[in-house]
Amino acid sequence: MNKKIRAIGAACLVAVWAGLTALTWFGPDQAESVSERRPLEQWPGITGESLWSGSFMEDFGDYSLDQYPLRDPFRQIKSLFHYYALQQKDNNGIYIADGYAVKMEYPLNTTSVNYAIGRFQHIYDTYLKDSGSKVVFAPVPDKGCYLAEENGYLSMDYKKMFTMLRENLPWAEFVDITDCLEGTDYYRTDTHWRQERLLDVAGKLSEALGVTAPRAEDFTVTQLDTPFYGVYYGQAALPMNPERIYLMESPLLKDCRVFDHETGQYTPVYNLDKLSGRDPYEVYLSGTRALLTVENPNAPTDRELVVFRDSFGSSLVPLLVQDYAKVTLVDIRYVASDFVGQFVDFHGQDVLFLYSTLVLNSSSTLK
Amino acid sequence: MLFSSIPFLYYFLPAVLIVYFLAPKALKNTVLLVFSLVFYGWGEPKYLFLMIGSILLFYLCGLAIGLSKTRPWQKFWLIVSVVVSLTLLGIFKYADFFVESFNAVTGLSIPLLRLALPVGISFYTFQCLSYTIDVYRGNAQVQKNPISFGTYVSLFPQLIAGPIVRYVDVARELENRTHSWDQVALGLRRFLIGLAKKVILADNFALLMKLFRESGEQSVLFYWMYAIAFMLNIYFDFSGYSCMAIGLGKVFGFHFIENFDYPYMSKSIGEFWRRWHMSLGSWFRDYVYIPLGGNRVKTGRWVFNTLVVWMLTGLWHGASWNFVLWGLLYAVFLMIEKWVPFLKKMPDVLRRFYVLLVVMLGFVLFNAADIAQAGSDIACLFGFGGLPLTSPETLYYLRSYALLFALGFVGATPLVRNTVNRLSAGEKTCKVVSILEPVVLILLLLVCTGYLVDGSFSPFLYFRF
Repeated sequence: MNKKIRAIGAACLVAVWAGLTALTWFGPDQAESVSERRPLEQWPGITGESLWSGSFMEDFGDYSLDQYPLRDPFRQIKSLFHYYALQQKDNNGIYIADGYAVKMEYPLNTTSVNYAIGRFQHIYDTYLKDSGSKVVFAPVPDKGCYLAEENGYLSMDYKKMFTMLRENLPWAEFVDITDCLEGTDYYRTDTHWRQERLLDVAGKLSEALGVTAPRAEDFTVTQLDTPFYGVYYGQAALPMNPERIYLMESPLLKDCRVFDHETGQYTPVYNLDKLSGRDPYEVYLSGTRALLTVENPNAPTDRELVVFRDSFGSSLVPLLVQDYAKVTLVDIRYVASDFVGQFVDFHGQDVLFLYSTLVLNSSSTLK
Repeated sequence: MLFSSIPFLYYFLPAVLIVYFLAPKALKNTVLLVFSLVFYGWGEPKYLFLMIGSILLFYLCGLAIGLSKTRPWQKFWLIVSVVVSLTLLGIFKYADFFVESFNAVTGLSIPLLRLALPVGISFYTFQCLSYTIDVYRGNAQVQKNPISFGTYVSLFPQLIAGPIVRYVDVARELENRTHSWDQVALGLRRFLIGLAKKVILADNFALLMKLFRESGEQSVLFYWMYAIAFMLNIYFDFSGYSCMAIGLGKVFGFHFIENFDYPYMSKSIGEFWRRWHMSLGSWFRDYVYIPLGGNRVKTGRWVFNTLVVWMLTGLWHGASWNFVLWGLLYAVFLMIEKWVPFLKKMPDVLRRFYVLLVVMLGFVLFNAADIAQAGSDIACLFGFGGLPLTSPETLYYLRSYALLFALGFVGATPLVRNTVNRLSAGEKTCKVVSILEPVVLILLLLVCTGYLVDGSFSPFLYFRF
């Protein structure tokens, strides 16, 4: 009897293995992974040279991993096992605290912070020193700042980072926005903050810049239908519910136009075309672009603002626009700071540096 | 190609199983030979010629020994096989080590060869040597069929990472072996247990070691975690791979020798080496130590024999002075155990602790990039590195890896095996085991696949040997 049970058990095992093999061999190839937001490796093609050099075998290894059938469910199985069965506190450097997926950013990389400071100093020396601009610097804390320590995870020394920035950028007014935010102001599955929770941050920065703070009653909060799975959803590979993106809309923003210097085209402040793309968060100012100019025809003044920023700036800047006729957004990860002068004339505009602690702690991409 | 990879699990293995079991009996060895050469060439297409050359060399030398009518000619062909194969091993594996050492002593700067190490060369060279030596000694029959001999040398389950299967142990099965569903089931079971050891345990310990090396906040406690993690990593990595090899062998009708027998349960260093990489230990015993005179010689000669064997054991693992020192460390402890009877009289707990400590320090030496790093690592372990006792990062990873360490400790003992055996022997519990076993195995397959798909695998450690 037991022999029979064992034989049936072994047959089940072979059937599962054979089934997965059949799917691997005959399943259709996918072009990209939605959850990981990246294109997947395609069949490498065989040539005599690629076989002889071994490059085919290497490429086939990558192809077989990327095109494995039910890739996402299998990554979830791994994550669940890793996280819950093995009780590992993080999976691929991502942990879940209070239902929020957080990237463990640790330790403080002082070399990286100093490098970023060097880039900002270069911008100041090149463009701002003699322009008479009012300069504000505001680091954006990542959600680990609110969720790591209290949940027993490693947390970088934010205090030290802020002190380094404050002391080494004396030409800028340092604005600490940490107290304007809390963990719930960020998406559960994404690295970014939620625009509808940024009025306090916008208010504090407006005060520092000397412009009118945005008021809640000036905006209508619109929920978008597109389910939003943030970047940590794919990295953590744990089952998490999709979120919703909200837009802070106003008649003033509706009249604004955004000029993309790369494409030479105008887009609206909220580019709904991006909702069907890889990252719906790009709905805000079309996402990470090298150089954008927001034109506000209804501005009460002719003041201008230049924002050196990363992706966190995309959702915040619409809340800062109201008093400015023109807001220029520069992302020096995509355009070298030495070339910015070819596109932007610095003539005393207000200047805001807005960089997340994640970028500052890993700043090699700043040019 | 690694066993613990998607190309192997879902492309190569199913393909070879289908063709092998569809092929008529007379062609089964040919199927295995062709697929084994594909398996070998997958990682190193250029070294396929080296593999085929080695097969031909030993096949012809074996034939020549068998055909030679006088002992001197037999000895001549044996010497040819030994010299040529050891020369090839020397060129590919040790040439740069010797040149570097020579340059360091003489101040010369002879250029290095910088050849890539052919995968598994140490394993298949030793297997082949056992064949010609055993034929010369009259312990094995000459294999006249080149396909059968080629199958023996290149057999993919044990080609790149052992166990070092001697020709005499599989000679009969090369010609005539039986296949059964029971054997396939047992083989797959063993394979999956080995896969889980490698993917779930060894690779996760490897990840901790990587985090340790990358950490900017090392501490004494972190060094101990690293050292213990490496002990468990190398054990589950290597024993896992041996399990997979033995399991695959069973599927194809071969019975390979066991390679590990819970070595961390040992109460002496001698016992440890009778339980760790058993096929290598017995190879050196039968082909080097005993021919040198073994232990039935005067003390001075025995010391010499021991030092030679353990220096070679160290060198077999890698062409570097820390491997030589690692081997000699065991020689020293084997001598101490012989000459200090007090060690045998200690309580079992203390004896086990002593073995684990020596083995752990040995592995710290083994895994260091060079002797300087080994010295620094060992100093840090004992608080001489100027490091704090602990750090926030250390405590975080201790909490994160606590369960994995516990699983590792339990998995390194026969507790699970004994419990399953006991339950299988019980009248009532045996049915439960029969039902649960395939469920657990399917779950292990799915979890291991998940780990591999997530891309967190690390190459098998013993590839470099």
